[in-house]
Amino acid sequence: MAILEATDLVKIYPGDVKAVDGISFTVEEGEVFGFLGPNGAGKTTTIRIGVTLLALTSGTFVIDGIDVRQRPEEVRRRIGYAAQSVGVDDDLTGRENLILQGRLHGMSSRDAGAKADGLLQVIDLEDAANRRAGTFSGGMRKRLDLAQALVHHPRLLFLDEPTTGLDPQNRRALWSYLRELNQSGVTIFLTTQYLEEADVLCGRLAIIDHGQIKVEGSPTELKAALGGDMVTVTLPREAATESPAVGEPGTDGPLERTRAVLADVDGCSSVTVHENSVSVILRDGGAQLADLVRALDAAAVPVARLELAEPTLDDVFLKHTGERLRVDEVRPPSRVVGRRRGERA
Amino acid sequence: MRSLREIHVIWGRNMRKLTRVPMLLFFSLFQPLLFLVLFSQVFSSMAKLPGFGYDNYLQFLVPTIVGLTALNSAFQSGMGMVTDMDAGLLDKFLIAPIRRSSILLGKIAADATRMAIQSSLIIVVSFIMGARFKTGILGILAMILIAVLFGIAWAGISNVVALRTRNAELTMLIGILITFPILFLSTGFMPSALLPSWLDTVAKFNPITYLVAALRALVNEGWVWTAIWQCLAVTAGLAAVTLTAATRAFRKVIS
Repeated sequence: MAILEATDLVKIYPGDVKAVDGISFTVEEGEVFGFLGPNGAGKTTTIRIGVTLLALTSGTFVIDGIDVRQRPEEVRRRIGYAAQSVGVDDDLTGRENLILQGRLHGMSSRDAGAKADGLLQVIDLEDAANRRAGTFSGGMRKRLDLAQALVHHPRLLFLDEPTTGLDPQNRRALWSYLRELNQSGVTIFLTTQYLEEADVLCGRLAIIDHGQIKVEGSPTELKAALGGDMVTVTLPREAATESPAVGEPGTDGPLERTRAVLADVDGCSSVTVHENSVSVILRDGGAQLADLVRALDAAAVPVARLELAEPTLDDVFLKHTGERLRVDEVRPPSRVVGRRRGERA
Repeated sequence: MRSLREIHVIWGRNMRKLTRVPMLLFFSLFQPLLFLVLFSQVFSSMAKLPGFGYDNYLQFLVPTIVGLTALNSAFQSGMGMVTDMDAGLLDKFLIAPIRRSSILLGKIAADATRMAIQSSLIIVVSFIMGARFKTGILGILAMILIAVLFGIAWAGISNVVALRTRNAELTMLIGILITFPILFLSTGFMPSALLPSWLDTVAKFNPITYLVAALRALVNEGWVWTAIWQCLAVTAGLAAVTLTAATRAFRKVIS
């Protein structure tokens, strides 16, 4: 059963900026569904509409059968939300932050306290429970923020870039926690710009770019749909930028020649030209590699590197958007606060 | 009942912050305390002027300082709003299943409590400095109540600035820039009789004049109901404008 159904969702910000441009998708109860896309693709806008923080321009957004526009308060009881930047009160302790969330959701002080203690144990912050959140490290704050979203037992959890700003170790720890959470029955809708995160966590995902869903499916399906292995031919940087020789009309530069050669090879598809490389999907992968090399050789293309790899989600992204989703995998946290001391992954 | 519970939760959170960061309590007290000590000394001989009408300048000044405390505290309210927005805490309140009005009323209740504590501290210091209060404890409570109500109306301005600029420094700066001239364009530091006539006219249109008049009456004369009712009417009018504008700015931010 679908716990979330968005239909023809459009969000236009003042100044005619179309952040979300006709998105439709569903999230099934019990799954982990993800939006994979770059900054500015419309991921956060979609989430903020879903958690009733932002009004949609047109379309519908229904959670557990309830329209977010008609009965937002009913929706708020069913969902948990952890924003991209952590929302904890630095002046309160970790425990007090959790109790506050419980109280805001109508729990008694006693119930909220008991729930807070349980969650602090789960997220491994028991030792720091009575310290001010301002002294927490980035990883601890992120975990506390996630726990805040769980105090009231939401059925659907919205996570906007849950591991952005975390180091690889903390990221992996959070992934395994999110998997456990999902196994305990919480449906998760997350956004990410990390390919590995989408691959590891999401049962199903949608690739989103410029406010539109380009393709949707499980990571395995999406990769298989590319129909073969990915071959990337990289030219020496000087050769790639060389322009066609003057006075010889009809002669192409090396990059264009490479593209033409590859497009001619039998079983090649989705030829894409980048700055100084050309990539193709080769139906039979390794078996056809020899043909490809011979063709390149015959065309006298200078090759710096030749790669053959199983397709990744980045290749899927490339095929459907024409660009690579390149993200520096470790970025500084949006708010650097506190010390590392006492932190455990 | 449900709303009261929600307001209480929001209020409690702000109060806890106040105990955790005492700076928040004393932040807007520095300037009034400085004025209280310095002005009461520097201008002490003013009481000898014909037409001044008060025994000493301290008796005349204390009500102004109580009012100033409320004004300063009011601008702290907007800064708190910006901090909560920046830290993503406002979003946390907004996605909780509580009424939006409870978020604002809880904040107002917390602001009011803070203003009451701050005004009381100023009154205690004035008492130690030798000020005497004609209307006694009841009058002091009335003073605090009047100052708090005016402060809440003033806090509306600071929240409009905060919600529009979303910048704490700017909110504070604009607060100082507004409060200072308006304070000196009132009868806060000089009785009406001794003001230049143009300034006296300006002061008549200045809401702070009415606040100071009511507080001054309670300290020096007694229960002068005309002054008190005038002040409450001005406060209500001011609040109607500022709190409407603040609510509108709030709605705009959260939509």
